Amino acid sequence: MSDHIDGPRQLADPASDLSDLFAFTSPESADRTVLALCVFPSAGPSALFSNAVDYTIAVRHIHAVGVGDAAQFQPADQEYRFSCRFTALERGTDAAKPVQRGTCTLPGGQVVELVVNDERGATTPDKVFRVYAGLRSDPFYLAWQMSGAQMKKGPNLLEHDNVLSIVIEFETRQAIDLGKGSLLGAIAETTPLPRYRSVIGSPPPRFDWVGRPEQTNMRLNNGKLPGAQDLRDLWNQQTPFAIAEDLKPLFRKRLIDSLTEWDLRDGMAQWTPAEIAASANVFLDDFLLLDVAKPINDLSHFEIEKSTLRGVAHRTGGGRTVNANVIDILTTWMVNHDQGEFMQGGATGATKPGTDQFPYLASPNTQRQTIAQSIDVAAPPEKVWALIGSFGDLAWHPLVEHVKLTGTGIGQLRTVEMIDGKSIVEQLVALDPTARTYTYEAVGGLPVASYTGTLGVKPSGTGSSIEWRSQYLADGQPDIIVKTIISTLFKVGLESLKKRLA
Amino acid sequence: MNHASSQPHARFQATDGDIAAINLQSGLQASWSRFGRDPHRAGVAELIVEQEQLTAQYTGDLRAYDRLEALVHALADLELDVGRRALITAHVACSTHRFADARTALALAAANGVEQEEIERLTLTIDQATGSQLDQVLAARRERAVKPHNWGERVPLGALLADLGEFDEADRTYQQALQEYPDVSPFPLAWVCFQLGVLWGESVPIPQENRAAQWYQTALDYLPCYVKARVHLSEIYLNLGQYEAAQALLMPVLTSGDPEVSWRLADLMTACGKHTEAESYLHAAEAGFEGLLQKHLLAFADHGAEFYVGSGNNPKKAFELAKANLANRPTLQAYEQAHETAMATNLPEFAETLAKDAHKRWAQTPAFQFSKLGTFPAVANRQGATHPC
Repeated sequence: MSDHIDGPRQLADPASDLSDLFAFTSPESADRTVLALCVFPSAGPSALFSNAVDYTIAVRHIHAVGVGDAAQFQPADQEYRFSCRFTALERGTDAAKPVQRGTCTLPGGQVVELVVNDERGATTPDKVFRVYAGLRSDPFYLAWQMSGAQMKKGPNLLEHDNVLSIVIEFETRQAIDLGKGSLLGAIAETTPLPRYRSVIGSPPPRFDWVGRPEQTNMRLNNGKLPGAQDLRDLWNQQTPFAIAEDLKPLFRKRLIDSLTEWDLRDGMAQWTPAEIAASANVFLDDFLLLDVAKPINDLSHFEIEKSTLRGVAHRTGGGRTVNANVIDILTTWMVNHDQGEFMQGGATGATKPGTDQFPYLASPNTQRQTIAQSIDVAAPPEKVWALIGSFGDLAWHPLVEHVKLTGTGIGQLRTVEMIDGKSIVEQLVALDPTARTYTYEAVGGLPVASYTGTLGVKPSGTGSSIEWRSQYLADGQPDIIVKTIISTLFKVGLESLKKRLA
Repeated sequence: MNHASSQPHARFQATDGDIAAINLQSGLQASWSRFGRDPHRAGVAELIVEQEQLTAQYTGDLRAYDRLEALVHALADLELDVGRRALITAHVACSTHRFADARTALALAAANGVEQEEIERLTLTIDQATGSQLDQVLAARRERAVKPHNWGERVPLGALLADLGEFDEADRTYQQALQEYPDVSPFPLAWVCFQLGVLWGESVPIPQENRAAQWYQTALDYLPCYVKARVHLSEIYLNLGQYEAAQALLMPVLTSGDPEVSWRLADLMTACGKHTEAESYLHAAEAGFEGLLQKHLLAFADHGAEFYVGSGNNPKKAFELAKANLANRPTLQAYEQAHETAMATNLPEFAETLAKDAHKRWAQTPAFQFSKLGTFPAVANRQGATHPC
């Protein structure tokens, strides 16, 4: 959630909502640099790019024009732009597998065409550039929970999430004029394609952009600042590398207020006002800094800025790797000024770590499927529960021939013999007779993994509502087949209850 | 009435409608999956509500309302912030037109710290839907619509103006919304075009079918899966005798679950003299409406009444449904429908009472001048009202 759903407008088309930007040395070759952007937070398995949006990563040479409390990073005018557009769907002859294609225009004017979700990516004829676009496991992780003024470690809020990503790898010396310096700043932006708009109005210059992680959600929109106006939409409308001069005081003040608040979250003030002002100035120039002449690793994020603010030369290439723990790096810096313990959140990695092979972001997470069915019956809940509330008794289900129970209490197993001769083995994991619900997990017999089922009865008017719910990962059979098996099992069982308890 | 804005709509660049529909379903699936893993997670239940509402509004998958009810039931079992749960409950109740429940939940949300902006936004929606305090609603809508980054306020303002009979201003509001749309999602654009179709095809006293058809078609250009736009456009084609075009619109969405599709196909088959097929579609439509009314009576009472007073051929049932709808939201349209069904049920005295009530409540609005209730003879004579029509 580096920049996930960061403004009211972004809810409209999630495929234009930028969440993260990465810049790192290629794990496959030290001579190559990788830039990657992510959009569509919490994308589902069939997510696609908008065909009305330009997805761009822009890079500029950066010059450090001050150090210490006068630290400032000045972007050059020249810009290297890596821009991708995508087509509408090509359904072809197989309507079940529509294809989306993309075209990326690279610095120097080369164009590379790709097919979305093709893991091999596409390469320019001279092999300088390689591009991938498609669904990947979200590499970002955030594992803090805010409770009042306290920060508590928690699970990764983005566990199992996927994003759409664009990964661009290139020969560093071929694509970037290192004679102008190796210190670079990168941003990602989503902008509208030209519109057929001629009467009145004009399209917005861009939908979203991102430089460093969490500029909007952590610093500009600090929820601990009472009554502070939400500046995220206004920030998103700024031109990257060129924040409007008349708005800079507004953003600077917000950053100072926000950083001052962050400083006090451990109950101690470890920043002087001058240091906070200097740090705010650095954050105001919002681009991801990297030095392609120095090593970029999982710990080097933000090191260039920190060293410059301290008045010493930077040692690393900064940047941001796929596995970098950027939230905790930034949180530690903002809260204790790197003068205390590293503030490690509740997770030490994303759902899946990045890989050493192109496209470096891990393959998408499989979504657990949910099936939930319910019926209302006239009988009171206690009568319904008396009929169906025993884990070892499925005599009420027309598709069940026999149940064999092994063990007692939580952990007991039931082997369900179906009328078609097949068997399913399930284990009781929770039972709440007061709430009239029990939960079980499948041990065998169904083509599923991580299967959890819950059967429950609730009052509904003068009668009852019976709900049967399951979550699972299809395993060994297509989703549609598994869904049909489980849905049929639920439907037949519930309908028989409706007749019986009418 | 100003016709200056009847020029063809220049399409704006938007995400392809098929992609947007896939992404909506993709996002919805991901949201339910996240909810299953961690139902307490901030924002996930709220996002499901938005996505399910979009699903119901555009794709005709009316099981979305069942899933929303299931969501509320699931939330009831969680240790969740009371205000947050109440606000979600209010939104779901409002979606299914249970406005009294929505108001109760909203009051609970307000009492438990939910932001005033959230309360005000949903209160306006409920007031507008129920025809309550429309002067105040209109003033608030106008004020909100001119605020920056408040594009979403334009469409309900247009709809309110149309309900109040301010057709030209409604048209201008919708057109301005199209011009100033700040995003690429095709859903809102299709929605505005659909509203313009309704405005010119149904709301105005003398419908302009060709103009309405253009807007419905533009809505479908943006979003081919938009079932309601297909249904409304097919009605126009049916009226114009363009049966093949009507059928081509309806057949691809027959499986959507919206019984209006089967209903219009029944009408189409009847017009084509295919009575066996017509009967089959009619039965499907009736079964569909019955299923919906059983679960979400208030959400579909007006649609059900329209069906049963027409092709459904059960005026008595239509009258009961229209009364339920009127009791739930006494808008001018609800009065008109109740009046129509009362007359169809051969209850002229009841119809007259309804007309009198409608007069008391709505005579001051421009829309009443164009309403058939405005010219209802008994009312006009007894009230001494002078109506231009």
